[in-house]
Amino acid sequence: MRYIFFSLLIFYSLSANSQTADQIIAQLVSKINLVKDYSVKANIKADIPMIKVLPVNATIYFKQKDKFKVISKGIAILPKQGFTDVSSFLSNKNTYVAVDGGIKALNGVQTHVVTVIPTVENSDIVLAKLWIDTKNKVILKTDLTTRGSGSVTMNYVYGTQLAFGLPDQITFTVDIKKFKMPKSISSDINNSEKAKKSKSKIGIITIKLSGYLVNKGISDEFFKKKN
Amino acid sequence: MLVRNTYNEFIKIIAKPRSYIGLGVLTALIFVILFAMKADGTSFVSFVTASFEQTLSFNGNILNGNLIAFIILQMLIVHIPLLVALVTGDLISGEAAMGTIRMLATKPISRTNIVLSKFIAGAVYTLILTLWLAFLALIVVKWMFGTGDLIVLNSSGLIILQEQDIMWRYLCSFFVAYLALLTVSSLSICLSAFAENSIGPIVSTMGIIILFTIIGSMDVTVFDSIKKFLFTTHMASWRSFFEDPVKMKDIWQSIIILVVHNIVLVAIAIIKFNKKDITS
Repeated sequence: MRYIFFSLLIFYSLSANSQTADQIIAQLVSKINLVKDYSVKANIKADIPMIKVLPVNATIYFKQKDKFKVISKGIAILPKQGFTDVSSFLSNKNTYVAVDGGIKALNGVQTHVVTVIPTVENSDIVLAKLWIDTKNKVILKTDLTTRGSGSVTMNYVYGTQLAFGLPDQITFTVDIKKFKMPKSISSDINNSEKAKKSKSKIGIITIKLSGYLVNKGISDEFFKKKN
Repeated sequence: MLVRNTYNEFIKIIAKPRSYIGLGVLTALIFVILFAMKADGTSFVSFVTASFEQTLSFNGNILNGNLIAFIILQMLIVHIPLLVALVTGDLISGEAAMGTIRMLATKPISRTNIVLSKFIAGAVYTLILTLWLAFLALIVVKWMFGTGDLIVLNSSGLIILQEQDIMWRYLCSFFVAYLALLTVSSLSICLSAFAENSIGPIVSTMGIIILFTIIGSMDVTVFDSIKKFLFTTHMASWRSFFEDPVKMKDIWQSIIILVVHNIVLVAIAIIKFNKKDITS
């Protein structure tokens, strides 16, 4: 009898937490859905091992659910995943379960930690851990583990577009797979330096966003056109 | 007299059909590269960025004129020496083979000046080849593919240079590449002074370049001490202008070694030609 009672208690508390997490995610998704499309000016600074690049200005375009385009005069480096993946992943609530991870402070802000686990087999996202500011209904931090691109951590800073849940700054911390730059492909055959192996595995990409134009309407054709 | 004889030597160069082979082959090679890039340039670029593309995406016009100019320079700098040697390797020995060297030696000009005028004429021809390469790579290619940031892969990783920071690097690179080709010209003229036929110096020049290049590319410690003195090692020093920061110390070292090679090779040619017993 005692075992049954405790089992019921654990089941009840787990399902109650799960419900709370679902509610938080639902609130978050409803805020994400406020934005149908946007364009924003971005200053992209990439600090990646074995890549030397100066900050680049670009314009980023987004349209629900997952249309994304970057127009840049120079070469802009962005993480392969993380920009639109989380919002489009969360939008389809039949494809994941949300587990409550409790309340934690993040940079002085009380956040609700929610772990999202996909329920479909072919999902590229393996696990997403979200630090959600329930007061403003925005994500402050995401730990994203993917099949194809390793893990990506995103930290968001909000400002002018808090009402739409759009950040003013995103800092991506990406896993850079260990690689060796072969001498043959560097074709610098006379360079006496030996081909280097990357030591650091962490790349940091900081994107400062400004001048949002939200819900002005961007055609689907625009995303198909080549730059 | 030196100027007039140099002019005569240059006339002899442009009168030979083989002098146009270099320009023709160079043009054909560049257009083959352009065709390949237009047809399948994206896969070439992904070969360069493949190591990073699992986690990162590269946005913007990567396959632009600046990148293709770099690819052209990198691919052709190996082959242009042959085109240079094809003409300059013939300058003294060709006269010996044709029997005109005796008449040349009877002119009221010293043998030293004969060699110098051939060296200068060869240098002008090499300059024309380099300028033609620069014109095709920097003007025609950019006109066809547009401009943009340059992505360079070297032994220290990827470097992305901004568009406004590239032109001066190309101009300096072409200068160093010209100096390297001039060394090939001097080498072939030097070998030409020893030979009595046209083919020998041309083949020997290419043989030396291949030998030195192989020695330079072998990661064997026994060659480390001599590598830095081989002119072929410094033929690729134009690439140093695409480093960030630019390794000026290395570039100056390469320039000095190439200039010394030129001086020594021309000096050997002068000494040999002055002592040459012209019997043909």
